Amino acid sequence: MKVKIRQWNAVASWLWVANDENCGICRMPFNGCCPDCKVPGDDCPLVWGQCSHCFHMHCILKWLNSQQVQQQCPMCRQEWKFKE
Amino acid sequence: MEDIGMEEDSAEISGSAQKQGVADAWETVTAALMSPGGLGPEQGLWDSLALLSGEGLGRLLGGWLLETLQMRLSSAVVPEFWAELKQPENELEERGRAWVLLTAFQTLLGRLEPFLGGLERLESWQDEGRGSVCGPGPGGLQERAFTIIRALLLFSPSPVLQERVLEFYSRTFSVYMHQEGQAEDGAEAPEGPEGGVCPGCGVPTQQCWCKEALAQLKELSHILSKLQLLEWVSCEAVTSILHKLIEQRMEQHCRGEYERSFLLEFQTWLELVLGWLSKVFASEAEKDGLVPAPGAPGAPGAPSVPSTPSLQAGQPGSSVLKQWRCHMHQFFCRIYVNMRIEELFSIIRDFPESKAAIEDLKFCLERTNQRQQLLTSLKSAFESRLLHPGVHTSDILTVYISAIKALRELDPSMVILQVACQPIRKYLRTREDTVRQIVAGLTGDAEGCTDLASELSRGDPVTLEMQDSDEEGADPEDWTPDPTDAVPDKMGSKRRSSDIISLLVSIYGSKDIFIDEYRAVLADRLLHQLNYNTAREIRNVELLKLRFGESHMHYCEVMLKDMADSRRINSNIREEESRLSEEEQPPLSLSSIILSSEFWPPLKEEKLELPPVVCQAMEAYTHRYEKLKAMRTLSWKPHLGSVTLDLELEDRTLTNLTVSPIHAAIILHFQDKSSWTLEELSVKLGAPKELLHRKLALWQQHGVLREEAGGRYYVVETGSSKEKMDRGVMLIDSDEERDSNTTTQSEQREEKLQLFWAYIQAMLTNLDSMTLDRIHSMLRMFVATGPVVTEMDINELEGFLQRKVREHQLLVSAGVYRLPKAN
Repeated sequence: MKVKIRQWNAVASWLWVANDENCGICRMPFNGCCPDCKVPGDDCPLVWGQCSHCFHMHCILKWLNSQQVQQQCPMCRQEWKFKE
Repeated sequence: MEDIGMEEDSAEISGSAQKQGVADAWETVTAALMSPGGLGPEQGLWDSLALLSGEGLGRLLGGWLLETLQMRLSSAVVPEFWAELKQPENELEERGRAWVLLTAFQTLLGRLEPFLGGLERLESWQDEGRGSVCGPGPGGLQERAFTIIRALLLFSPSPVLQERVLEFYSRTFSVYMHQEGQAEDGAEAPEGPEGGVCPGCGVPTQQCWCKEALAQLKELSHILSKLQLLEWVSCEAVTSILHKLIEQRMEQHCRGEYERSFLLEFQTWLELVLGWLSKVFASEAEKDGLVPAPGAPGAPGAPSVPSTPSLQAGQPGSSVLKQWRCHMHQFFCRIYVNMRIEELFSIIRDFPESKAAIEDLKFCLERTNQRQQLLTSLKSAFESRLLHPGVHTSDILTVYISAIKALRELDPSMVILQVACQPIRKYLRTREDTVRQIVAGLTGDAEGCTDLASELSRGDPVTLEMQDSDEEGADPEDWTPDPTDAVPDKMGSKRRSSDIISLLVSIYGSKDIFIDEYRAVLADRLLHQLNYNTAREIRNVELLKLRFGESHMHYCEVMLKDMADSRRINSNIREEESRLSEEEQPPLSLSSIILSSEFWPPLKEEKLELPPVVCQAMEAYTHRYEKLKAMRTLSWKPHLGSVTLDLELEDRTLTNLTVSPIHAAIILHFQDKSSWTLEELSVKLGAPKELLHRKLALWQQHGVLREEAGGRYYVVETGSSKEKMDRGVMLIDSDEERDSNTTTQSEQREEKLQLFWAYIQAMLTNLDSMTLDRIHSMLRMFVATGPVVTEMDINELEGFLQRKVREHQLLVSAGVYRLPKAN
């Protein structure tokens, strides 16, 4: 017997390769989106800091904008630098 | 006689000189008054009368006349009348009886005529102002005389009179209706077929006495009216005839016939009946000075006039006829409403077709006070005919939807709808598949139930948001109070919505249930699709958005967007693959739907190890995806999706089979090795045996595999010879393909219970041991976040804990739960 597969329609779900499940700022799942967004994924990306913490981009930007003096990671208080 | 004595007494008092003159005058007067037809010399009478009244005897005259009348009546006339009426005792046939009835009244009239004549003369004399003949007491002389006649005659009426009158009237009615009917519409009166029987009087044609009957009717009416007995003798008979006839006619014409309005038809008919009535009450009518010559109001041609449904709007008849018209109209409405109330369930069931009946009913119901009756009867009809386990949920919904539509028509205030349908709503709440059915109806995949889908796509949906708002109605002038039978509850009239979808959705009091269900249905549909075509789903979601509001449909929108994104990613990856060299081409063409897991309903998790060839393809796909979308990866759901494949066997090929991944995985394994046991397969695929057993059935049905003793499955390479045997192995579950990919309600619930497990563990760690009640109340106290806890009763919790005990994750002794000691 020979089986010839013409087409395989599979189902997968995408997920961020992150070391945590939820954003430390908004506490929403990374695989969802930040409170201001409607659509996850491309429209609400994650960003990583050099301290290896990651957040929804919108969340961390909001946080950084609210910081007057020094821009720190809200988790570890190290200076926030975007990971290249 | 005594009267004479009395007269003599008074004569003595008046004085002797004129004694003789007075006596003479009295003689003259009494003789003249009693003489039939008033033959006596008028002038002599007048003179005598003047003399008497001059002597102050005028008053006595009236008294004397009445007294005489009374004596005569009670001693002779009344007994004679009754004797005559009863005399032939059942021996006669109908025609004879009618004749006897008439003669009895004729005799009665004959006996009383002298008195009446005398009374009339006295009255006219008095009217000329020449003196008073009335005794003391109210009312004219004639009036009092008639009262006496009525009183004595009908003091103890024998039922025979009623019977006779009824019979007679019925007969004349049918005769009249027949004649008029012929003139009106020949089709209505059943002609000829009875074979020589006159349809009017019901006897062979040659003996027909229709004409006679009508003449008799006229005469009888005349006599009765002359004696002022008409109302007393005939009203009852006429009423019962009318009642009976309307009822009969309605039974014949309207019962079970909902598609046409009967109001006009009945109105025409009632006008016809009125013609007969005008014959019965002809003399009365004439006396009122208003025209109706017998038959005029109902005469052919006339009844077609009124175009409004109002039965009252007719020609001005005499007051009697007008009264009767009102009566008949009332009868009609009441009887009609009664009948329709009985049939309301069927009417509702046939609704769009039975609109005419509903409109008729509405018209009549407004004129009779029977709403309460309607409500009770409809409620019990629903309960006995609809709300029992034998009726499919979709049928209940269909009837409910028709009921909404029909009752909306019947009662724009929606009170009837609200009250009568309460039991349906309550009952639907107890059915498990209600939500699914409603959602299926909304998306248009329910069989037969297309109403909802069309309702959804109707132009101006009232959004549910809008109704929730407390905003006052547009114009205060338009406000109408609720009917008195409205249920006084928090729902104001403005929230008593007539919108079918909002009514259905509100069965559960919350739209979230529906949206969740819709999400599940949508997920199923999307995942079962082979292409990425979502036009229909997009349309549905847009429509639902109008209903439920943007925010509630957000998840569904993301789901649809996922489909679009997947398509794009897919074609991207495909393009990349196509640039590869020949040998690098992937061994199987894989396309994928990529979900945003947070936004999809929880999908069934099933373990399944796919054959290496597929896994490799998936890995390759993942790599490409990762390249496309930085920092993101894919988590495959191996059991979901669909596979199209061809099977090449030795003697045949099966092409274009579309199966689920697990089917494909199974058959791929058989490609490498032609026989497998269930255990081997189970190990290889990482799936439970029972599941595999079920799935294998598909291939058995296709005749590709066969099962042999010892649970071994073999490939059937040469199938044709085995054809017959394969037929025998029918599929165990042929609806396997339609299996839902989303988890069922109970599974979701299970998951939520699992959530509590963490709490329970923590509590038991801290408190060492707890009873069931304690655990339950603690959970209620601390985990009161979602609706789940409040819904979860103690039994359910117990069941859950018992299971944990069986799984050795919990110990129980003497009703106290504790965690097993570590290690």
